[in-house]
Amino acid sequence: MKGKSFAALALCLGAVLLLALPLLLKSTFVLDIFIRILLFAFIGTAWNLMGGYAKQLSLGHVAYFGLGAYTSTILQVDFDISPWIGMVAGGIVAALASLPIGWLCFRLRGPYFTIATIATAQVLMLVFLKFRDFAWGAEGTTIPNLGNAPLMMQFEAKSAYYYVALGLLALGLAITFLIERSFIGYYLVAIGENEDAAEAIGVDAPRMKRDIYMISAFLTALAGTFYIQYIYFIDPATAFNFSISIEAALVSIVGGIGTLWGPVIGTVLLETTSALLQSWLGSRIGGIQLTVYSLILMAVILWRPTGIMGFLSELHAKHLRAEPAPKPEAA
Amino acid sequence: MLETLAQAVINGLLIGGIYALVSIGVTLIFGVVKIVNFAQGEFVMIGMYLSFFLATQFAVDPVVSLVITMPVLFSVGVLIQHFLIRRVLGQNDMPQIFLTFALSLLLVNLALMLFSANYRTVHTWYSDEALHLGGLYIPLAKLFAFALAMVLSAALWAFLHTTDLGKAMRAAAQNREVAQLMGINPNRVFCVALGVALALAGAAGSLLMPFYPAYPLVGQVFVLMAFVAVVLGTLGNILGALVASLMMGVAESLGIQFIGADSGLIVVFLMLLLTLALRPSGLAGGRAR
Repeated sequence: MKGKSFAALALCLGAVLLLALPLLLKSTFVLDIFIRILLFAFIGTAWNLMGGYAKQLSLGHVAYFGLGAYTSTILQVDFDISPWIGMVAGGIVAALASLPIGWLCFRLRGPYFTIATIATAQVLMLVFLKFRDFAWGAEGTTIPNLGNAPLMMQFEAKSAYYYVALGLLALGLAITFLIERSFIGYYLVAIGENEDAAEAIGVDAPRMKRDIYMISAFLTALAGTFYIQYIYFIDPATAFNFSISIEAALVSIVGGIGTLWGPVIGTVLLETTSALLQSWLGSRIGGIQLTVYSLILMAVILWRPTGIMGFLSELHAKHLRAEPAPKPEAA
Repeated sequence: MLETLAQAVINGLLIGGIYALVSIGVTLIFGVVKIVNFAQGEFVMIGMYLSFFLATQFAVDPVVSLVITMPVLFSVGVLIQHFLIRRVLGQNDMPQIFLTFALSLLLVNLALMLFSANYRTVHTWYSDEALHLGGLYIPLAKLFAFALAMVLSAALWAFLHTTDLGKAMRAAAQNREVAQLMGINPNRVFCVALGVALALAGAAGSLLMPFYPAYPLVGQVFVLMAFVAVVLGTLGNILGALVASLMMGVAESLGIQFIGADSGLIVVFLMLLLTLALRPSGLAGGRAR
């Protein structure tokens, strides 16, 4: 009970701090880093629902990021529909697209599932590269700048984007929290541990995987819309960039897959490292960021596959054991 | 029309030989060690850079440099099995998938830091030469690459079927526990499997160098082809991987010839998705995992 109220207090303090942060920060550079952290923590959270709890290790989540981005952009540029609506529409498109994609990819398990997800994301990127009449082809397009238009998801103040990203992350965490505590969460963990055994005790594994894939795809698409609105530009190489799939998985694994806060902690660590590297070395040395990421990932896999969260809970368990245990009666 | 078709098929078969070297390596590791090596393409890349430096610094012909790249990459494979992969065997999917994935990321980005993203090419006396058979055009460099790729595949086949070590590897692939009971040391067999697979990737790199540029991301093309070929040819099946690789080379080349220059990859991915939809266990049958 004591631990619970402490956690609630910490959560409230953290929330207040996060809400007040843009007021305290003067530098847009630092604010930009925070927006990236919130955005990737959200994408990681979406990935973690399927990759972490059900252990369906996708490296093709950028497919849904890109579908969300393109849906809202097409609706906005061609039909003048607000990206707020486009965002939800993109989520629905992505959720629907996850059905056939999942139907194909779930035929394979383990590493070959991962490869199939990569292939589907690549096919989608190639499709958007080819269809120039429909979605501007390889050149892409810029988003018309309307100045300060909150209804069109365009803001003059960078802090507004920060609050949108914060809202998305809060949504992702809330959904994860609810799923983790419901029967769905337990089913997913069972599937992740041993799919055949889970089916043997009556878990409808194909349905559970399909449903969680839809939710995960929906959330990832919201991030796509937000990102394009934030950078005012879209092309297939940006919207379907493989590195987004990689980062979604990486932040979750480093932070601890299948845990509520894992993707958040992982993103904070990786993005902070990346920002520090950039300010120390400049962006001159190509490849240094991913070199460091891959070394961190390897270290986590070889020494601590449960990630930072696993490490913390081990520390916590040790701390509990270290408390003076009741002395056994002398015989 | 018929001539264009024949030419496209020949182009596809020639490059398919290189795909075969990569996918045989992938399928060998998967069959024996039960690991998918996401970094296989990066060892092609390393083989290419090694051949490039041997050619530019010591004037070694890239095809001749095989005799150096293959043993070097064999040793790298043994070290990677012994110090990295061994530690994740028996764990769940996450470490097994992401260890070699991290290795792939690391190698690509190290190459980017060390060699920059520039294309490196080696020009040899046979780089621009070609045989003309009737109306058909057969580039000499690609012909060498294809012929040597087939020789190496045949040599691997002979190794697996006639030597004790080769038989031990096949036994370990069929049933690890029973093989262990028969006195086969699994780690030794796995080290050899990794070594052989990486040596093949290194050979592919050397053979590519006379007609293909080296750059940090070059491996991705080949590893994607290999993954598709390995699924198509049934996981763990070496002959299946070989035949599927040649088919993929032809399919890609036909796509480029008749649909458009950058459609090769679409054709290949569609083949993968079609295979998954219609026959997930691959053309040779057996169980997909």
